[in-house]
Amino acid sequence: MSGFSRREVMRVGAVGSAMVAGAAVASPLNGPRMLPEELDKDSFAAAVKELRAIVGDDWVFADPESTVSYRKTFIPDTKGNHIPSGAVAPASVEEVQAILKVANKYKLPMWPISTGKNMGYGCATPASSGQMVLDLKRMNRILDFDAELGTILVEPGVTYQDIHDYIEENDLPYWIDVPTVGPIVSMVGNTLERGVGYTPYGDHFFMQCGMEVCLADGTLLKTGMGSIDKGNTWQAFKWGYGPYLDGIFTQSNFGVVTKLGMWLMPKPPVYKPFVVRYPNMEDVAKATDTIRPFRMNNLIPNGVLIMGALYQLAMFEQRANLSDTDGPIPDAIIKAEAEKNGLGMWNVYFALYGTEETIAATEPIIRGAFEASGGEVLTDEEMNGNPWFEHHKTLMRGGMTLEEIGLVRWWGAEGGAVAFAPVAPAKGSETNGQTELAKRIMESYGFDYAPAYAVGGRELHHIIFLMFDHGSEDSSQRAEKCMEEMITEFGARGWAAYRSSVSTMDLVAQQYGEANREVNARLKDALDPNHIIAPGKQGIA
Amino acid sequence: MGISAKGRMAAVITATGLGGIVLLAGCNMPAQASQGPRPPEKIYAKVCGYCHGKDIGPIIRGRALDTELVKYMVRHGKGGMPAFKPTEISPEELDNLAIWISESEADPEEHGQ
Repeated sequence: MSGFSRREVMRVGAVGSAMVAGAAVASPLNGPRMLPEELDKDSFAAAVKELRAIVGDDWVFADPESTVSYRKTFIPDTKGNHIPSGAVAPASVEEVQAILKVANKYKLPMWPISTGKNMGYGCATPASSGQMVLDLKRMNRILDFDAELGTILVEPGVTYQDIHDYIEENDLPYWIDVPTVGPIVSMVGNTLERGVGYTPYGDHFFMQCGMEVCLADGTLLKTGMGSIDKGNTWQAFKWGYGPYLDGIFTQSNFGVVTKLGMWLMPKPPVYKPFVVRYPNMEDVAKATDTIRPFRMNNLIPNGVLIMGALYQLAMFEQRANLSDTDGPIPDAIIKAEAEKNGLGMWNVYFALYGTEETIAATEPIIRGAFEASGGEVLTDEEMNGNPWFEHHKTLMRGGMTLEEIGLVRWWGAEGGAVAFAPVAPAKGSETNGQTELAKRIMESYGFDYAPAYAVGGRELHHIIFLMFDHGSEDSSQRAEKCMEEMITEFGARGWAAYRSSVSTMDLVAQQYGEANREVNARLKDALDPNHIIAPGKQGIA
Repeated sequence: MGISAKGRMAAVITATGLGGIVLLAGCNMPAQASQGPRPPEKIYAKVCGYCHGKDIGPIIRGRALDTELVKYMVRHGKGGMPAFKPTEISPEELDNLAIWISESEADPEEHGQ
């Protein structure tokens, strides 16, 4: 477990205090590398002055010390390619519009974030150094909650914890669906990144309904039914009329989303979580083929995770507890540790939602199929408080947990992790090839393969957490090279990522082809001709 | 919020802006907004306490930690701990949180190192 000694505490404290004291005179104007590439110091200073006039002095951060929270990242960045020039935090849509006007005037690139907790992909850091973070956290209102329809309209700064608390305080019969680090993450941010969760409403963008977007020229666009005079259907009907626009504002830099509507899942009368343990690495194929038909016919309604043993163990364990060498940990050691903790080499988590009667009718069908595939089906009763089962039990009902952050400190106190998530058809035949490829590449760089597979409907997300030592230059450099090789080698076999860290956005975008890039470039030129919103996001300049 | 959660009609738009409360027209629930500094024990429960004392981050209560150290850690992050920005935990909230953590008793329910 992660701990720190009193001596370490005092040492870091002394360093911290010294840095705080010494930072008063620091300025990005002393470090031109932080500035946007095409902006001189005087122009930057003038832009900052105008931004202060919009949001107030307290909400513009334009020196190294005050921007330090925006620079914290878990991913490797050995060349300093993702350092913001500062941050500005508006409290309203009107302030966003005014900020974009200034950004256009000075050609100051803005990197919008909601809460900046994009954990495995770069947190709040921009795709290129010098961009100013447009921090929307202060826009934190739940604007509407329709208790009959189970719809919500929120601003970017609203976290899943905020919505969870609101539902609890008002005794509303709904659940939210959270990513693995829900309490500090924005519903808007995660949905725009097309993140996923683990209840039947786990495909977040699928459950999104209506958004307000501030375009680079200040135009406010309400998608779907949002612009109908006297309309009240904005959060009820997704498609509106004519081209469906919401998609082009996800994983994109075509505008700044300032409001987002979502559908919430009615709380079921009965919820029953399961885990299916498989003993061997190659069993992931059988697990996938067993899950797929139940996801397609919806007998299993939630997003199913197939968790590898090491991914599981790394939540609560540190590497030093399993191995005292730098080389990859052998499967036999991982398997023994997994067994000791009540885990298989693969652990399938799914749940049933409904009434006692519907679950009683469904469970034997699903249980029989998993058992026929060689899995061991277990419930709350047998798992008896097992912390990994409890973790997934929480996630599959949209509960609050941050336990998965534990993976970041696998190599020790300095932490370090970056995610790679290629997608494939949900067929068992796709899995072992991917596992072998990832394992071979990661082990050649001295890293441990910590995998999970997520079965949506017909697709399979392979979630690979590359854990490294952020405190070591050598480890960080190996992590960068390893990630590039994985993206390249997976891409060469037709397995491209559905999302990427800020450090590999262009590399992944190349794999989606020139025509896609060209269309995105044309849209960008039309909507943001000065390219002031998040240049480089998803490889779009 | 101040209105029953059972679907009362909210038909006016009232105060807006930071710290304001917005009620939208229609058969909707009242909306929520942040309302001044949150008490430190609430921030601890809703943010810090998900990791610290839960086998993810080290135990920090009951250790008389230096308040400057707490503030440094919150703003910079460390290892697996993300950094928290002034927009997430305001300077005033952070001052209060640091004092509260420093002066807090150990919680026997917490576990880990």
